[in-house]
Amino acid sequence: MSGLTLLQKGILAVLVLALVLPYVGLQDYWLYTLTIGLYYAMLASSWSLLVGYVGRISFAQAAMSGLGAYVAVLTGQLLDLPVLPALAAGVAVAGLFGLFIGWLTLRLHGAYLGLTTIAFGEILRIAVTAEYDITQGSRGLTAPPLWQGAGPVAYYYVFLAAAVGSVLLMLALLRSRVGLFFQAIREDEDGTASLGVNVTLWKALAFAASTAFAGLAGGLYAHFVQLITPSMMSLQEMGYILAMAVIGGFSNVVHAALGGVILQGLLQVLRELGEWRLAIFGAVAILMLRFAPNGLFGSLDAFLRRRR
Amino acid sequence: MPTQLDISNLSKNFGGLRALGGIDLAVDTGELVGLIGPNGSGKTTLLNIIGGYYDASGGSITLDGHRIDGMAPSRLARLGIGRSFQVTKVFKRLTVLENMLVGALADWGLSRRAAEAKARAVLETLTLTRLADQPASSLSGGQAKLLEFGRIMMLDPRIVLLDEPFGGVHPELKRFMYDTIRTWNAAGATIILISHDMGSIFGLCRRVVTLSSGSIIADGDPEAVRNDPAVLEAYLGDHHAA
Repeated sequence: MSGLTLLQKGILAVLVLALVLPYVGLQDYWLYTLTIGLYYAMLASSWSLLVGYVGRISFAQAAMSGLGAYVAVLTGQLLDLPVLPALAAGVAVAGLFGLFIGWLTLRLHGAYLGLTTIAFGEILRIAVTAEYDITQGSRGLTAPPLWQGAGPVAYYYVFLAAAVGSVLLMLALLRSRVGLFFQAIREDEDGTASLGVNVTLWKALAFAASTAFAGLAGGLYAHFVQLITPSMMSLQEMGYILAMAVIGGFSNVVHAALGGVILQGLLQVLRELGEWRLAIFGAVAILMLRFAPNGLFGSLDAFLRRRR
Repeated sequence: MPTQLDISNLSKNFGGLRALGGIDLAVDTGELVGLIGPNGSGKTTLLNIIGGYYDASGGSITLDGHRIDGMAPSRLARLGIGRSFQVTKVFKRLTVLENMLVGALADWGLSRRAAEAKARAVLETLTLTRLADQPASSLSGGQAKLLEFGRIMMLDPRIVLLDEPFGGVHPELKRFMYDTIRTWNAAGATIILISHDMGSIFGLCRRVVTLSSGSIIADGDPEAVRNDPAVLEAYLGDHHAA
């Protein structure tokens, strides 16, 4: 424990608190809110994996979550797959789609890459909306629960395990040689290639890893809310994910995940402000990018390190 | 010595602009070749094609008899071609040690522990050990150039392509870099060195190739090239050559 920074100790304390929360009299409403927050934590951290570590911008994360959700539900319905294999199918399809986007956009950077991923996301959302016979379009597709009788506490723990497990997996990946390749690519692609790293391969695989995690989040979300609509793939949803990652700190997957939970909580606390909440979050995200590009937790971490 | 790198009738056009036209150059194993020429003569373009960053418009390059033109830079690096860049490409947000590890870990047969031991040994020879855990952004320009040297050393290269390694480097550090280049060369590595620093070129290289307007205008020992009228004309203009 002595090797941990103050922020890391704080994160551990939050995790312990998260484990006992259902038993300290938390209302179901707040448990529901936290569960959704954990969904966003997975999306924000998986987005941070790609943007913060590899330097590849994407605005298709919400669409990839939706893809994972629709594939998980539809393979369950059409192929009669049990929930777990159906979830795995959602993860695999989202990952493969990410690989495809990653490969197709290898030579694109900055605004061109961002615009291309927006186009991909929108194509997917429109296709899901248009294919009414399969997806029920805007009416929404009903999904079964994860298992019969699963209640709010069970869902909360499943999402907590999935979010923590996803972040731990991402951290393991980032601490491996692959994580070093990712960060080297972010710093300089030509320089990385000159050292024998297959930049093309790792850029495409980074997209795939990021979207696979989003697909997992989407599949779980579908079985939690039990009704999914194309709106979960919208640019507004993408805006939430972006704000969460930016405000939490998108150069660190843990910070981005915390941003997801906290902003979802704030969305509920400030619900009387209606649509203004989104405008406020947008403004805060802009201020963060300008004055604290490492986000709330990155800045806090730096502050605590300076004080040691 | 057998020919290691054989460049034959190599050309490169950027749109309507001919950057290289019909370059023929054979480099033997263990040679230390200086590549000079006025700005825009095609030196860096040639290095970029050998290193896989540009596709040639025509011609071929072979390494030990095998065609390598058109190969990706990462594959060429794994074949033993290391290079430095005119503007250093160190990974600023990674530590010096992490910078060193990237190339070594691209070899999946090497464990992280072995790679780290090798990196620390190389940093020791480059006198960068005390900076190992510092972010590369904290390095001076000269130290960044040294770090690029170190990253190349991690590849155990057979051929080293150096593009203006001495630009903006303190004289003392420059002498250290000379020694490093000579040590590399003595260990068997072939080196192609681009520099505007004629003192460095003529001091280090036993063969100097001069490019002008995308063509080789002189190729020989330093003394002959230094006195070649075509070289003087390319650098100083017609009337000086006369």
